[in-house]
Amino acid sequence: MKIGTIGLAECIRQVVERSNWKARHKKLPYGRGVGIACNSYLCGAGLPIYWNKMPHAGVQLLVDRSGQVTVFCGATEIGQGSDDVLVAIVAEVLGIEPFDVRCVTGDTGITPVDLGSYSSRVTVMMGNAAIQAAERIRDQIAEAASAQIGVRPDLLVFLQGRVFFSEDPSRSLTFREAIGFAEEKFGTLWSVGSYVPLRAPGRYKGAGVGPSPAYSYTACVVEVEVDPATGWITVPKIWIAHDIGQAINPVLVRGQVEGSVYMGLSEALMEEQSFRRLPANMSNALVHKIPSLLEYKSPTTLDMPDIDTVLVEDPDQNCPFGAKEVGQGPLLPVMPALANAIFDAIGVRIDEVPITPDKILRALERKAKGQTPRVGPEHFPDVPYPEPIFVPTPGEGGDGNAAKEGPVRVPGRKREVAQS
Amino acid sequence: MMRLPWFSYRSPATIAEAASILAGEGPSVMIVAGGTDLFPNMKRKQQVPKTLVSLRKVQGLKRIANGTGLTLGGALTLSDVVAAEPVRSGYRALWQAAAQVATPHLRNMGTPGGNLCLDTRCTYYNQNFEWRQAIDFCMKKDGKICWVATKSRLCLAVSSTDTASALIALGAKVRLVSSRGEREVALADLYRNDGMDYLTLKSDEILTDVMLPAASGWQSSYWKLRRRGSFYFPVLGVAAAVRLGADGVVEDARIVLGACAPRPIVTKAGELLIGKHLTDEVIAEIGAKAASQAKPTDNTDLDLYWRKDVVANFVGYALREVRGDDMRTERMRIARQSLQAVG
Repeated sequence: MKIGTIGLAECIRQVVERSNWKARHKKLPYGRGVGIACNSYLCGAGLPIYWNKMPHAGVQLLVDRSGQVTVFCGATEIGQGSDDVLVAIVAEVLGIEPFDVRCVTGDTGITPVDLGSYSSRVTVMMGNAAIQAAERIRDQIAEAASAQIGVRPDLLVFLQGRVFFSEDPSRSLTFREAIGFAEEKFGTLWSVGSYVPLRAPGRYKGAGVGPSPAYSYTACVVEVEVDPATGWITVPKIWIAHDIGQAINPVLVRGQVEGSVYMGLSEALMEEQSFRRLPANMSNALVHKIPSLLEYKSPTTLDMPDIDTVLVEDPDQNCPFGAKEVGQGPLLPVMPALANAIFDAIGVRIDEVPITPDKILRALERKAKGQTPRVGPEHFPDVPYPEPIFVPTPGEGGDGNAAKEGPVRVPGRKREVAQS
Repeated sequence: MMRLPWFSYRSPATIAEAASILAGEGPSVMIVAGGTDLFPNMKRKQQVPKTLVSLRKVQGLKRIANGTGLTLGGALTLSDVVAAEPVRSGYRALWQAAAQVATPHLRNMGTPGGNLCLDTRCTYYNQNFEWRQAIDFCMKKDGKICWVATKSRLCLAVSSTDTASALIALGAKVRLVSSRGEREVALADLYRNDGMDYLTLKSDEILTDVMLPAASGWQSSYWKLRRRGSFYFPVLGVAAAVRLGADGVVEDARIVLGACAPRPIVTKAGELLIGKHLTDEVIAEIGAKAASQAKPTDNTDLDLYWRKDVVANFVGYALREVRGDDMRTERMRIARQSLQAVG
């Protein structure tokens, strides 16, 4: 598995330019700051959750003389827009309007298997399966239409509800007429498509974790105002650029990016699980302090900043029409960008979420006392990690796919106490 | 899904009829005036009245009357209060407090009477029945202990009303009517410093009116702390009302803290202001004095010690607004809204 395209540099250029980063970073008055962070995210896991060699996504198409296309897929629409993506891809391949595609998804009783809406995998895996199914049926229709139009099937174009000779569009059939001829020739029309990611080449324990057909990239700049007297945090604006590969529906992509900003900001400022141990002479039980969704807070519309969203399109050949994920990646840079912005504003590091005003004041107090101006975990969790596996890269004498024999101590990997 | 327990619902048309139902039902009856807090509490079995007496159809409880001061019916909606021009122009602290209660939807149902009698809140109490059962309940409901401070003999659930702090600062009284007659009490005396028995209101009494004195000469301001800009109770509320003489000397002042204790705290800082000018130094000194009286406990949102720390800052915001400073930037940052759009 290889990385196809990386639009990260353009993402960074976009947010840096649009936020006027160079004129503002380290140059804003005390209490105001900007911070930047980037990330990469996978577009589906190369290995399925349940290990087997069967397809990760299956798509079935029915086409009939009405001109209507029905697409079946197990992919689950959870509000992210996967039905829209499925319909758009089929319509694009067949050159018809999305309104002529009926979509049946998520019903395990009547649809082929798709592994589900997780791991930001649906557009890439379902999309590739849908392209295969749609191209197969298009080839059948083209074969039947070519006899009517009198040109080779590979010279036919499917566009705007018509099938026509690429060099003389007047020699054409409507899509519905073409289906009629295909039904005469082949009987009832159907096709299937499926998708299995390329096998990960790694031959060591853990090699299956991480490989993906493609990777998305995001860059984010957060602007923050911190009141040094109270630690109160205000986020007036966020700039974000996401390498989507190719936007199949730009409105939905923007919605996903901005939804991710919302969730990222929520994680950065509000969401918290805090526990409290009851006294030993009582039950000694560890109780959740905020076990309801009323107390587990997320931002309201009043708390959301303006978001400047840019879509960077750098199509990836492993993806359907080049389209990468946008379900989870854009969430990731928001928290570190906010932490960096706070450092720029008041010179303290908050190394845990949520970043709350009391932590800001505690860090400022430490700074005033000449201690490390930082609040966060003092050490890594005390976990008995297994011996690390060392996979030498070509530069280290390996091929990046196989572990070096025997246990190896990797420098810098042993547990250390964080600087404080 | 949590369901409402069974209860009888009575919907009288007059105050007298409501009072007589209350007198006949004894302590297992409750008044519902909006129900935005009571119904969720009933679903969680925190409050389990056998009978509810609704004030929704009672005549005469939705008046706004101008006289020497202003009288607000107990069953107006909070949206009505926010929209009332005399409130906005003369009693700014009340307007700012009412405008920040919960959300527009809840303000369309919630009432001044309901908000003033709002049940006290605590992270160990505002949970569903099963959760509370798992920790063997707490003294406020079904249990024996206060989990916030296990040695406490008093319940420490927090007064979480926005409007009470503002109205106490503004010198409001309330009229309480029962079949035995009626009485007027200073709003501050409606509350006890006990999270369980937090009201001096008797179970047969109806809060019919809130009476505000004339506003002339007074300036007031309310500042609310919560983690986000909408949809939550205060975890600190600061109300300040100040009467300034012609020379800018404070003639009278009241500073009230909400959500710091089982009752709104009328601080001594208000009295200390009398005879002084509202200079930055005086404001800082008064803020520190008020903060020293705040007794926040570890049973609401946000860090306990931080909430005490910022009392002085919030008193400062309120007094600077009273002084006439342009506080729009601070308001935007703290409230996440200008408030102007609410009314």
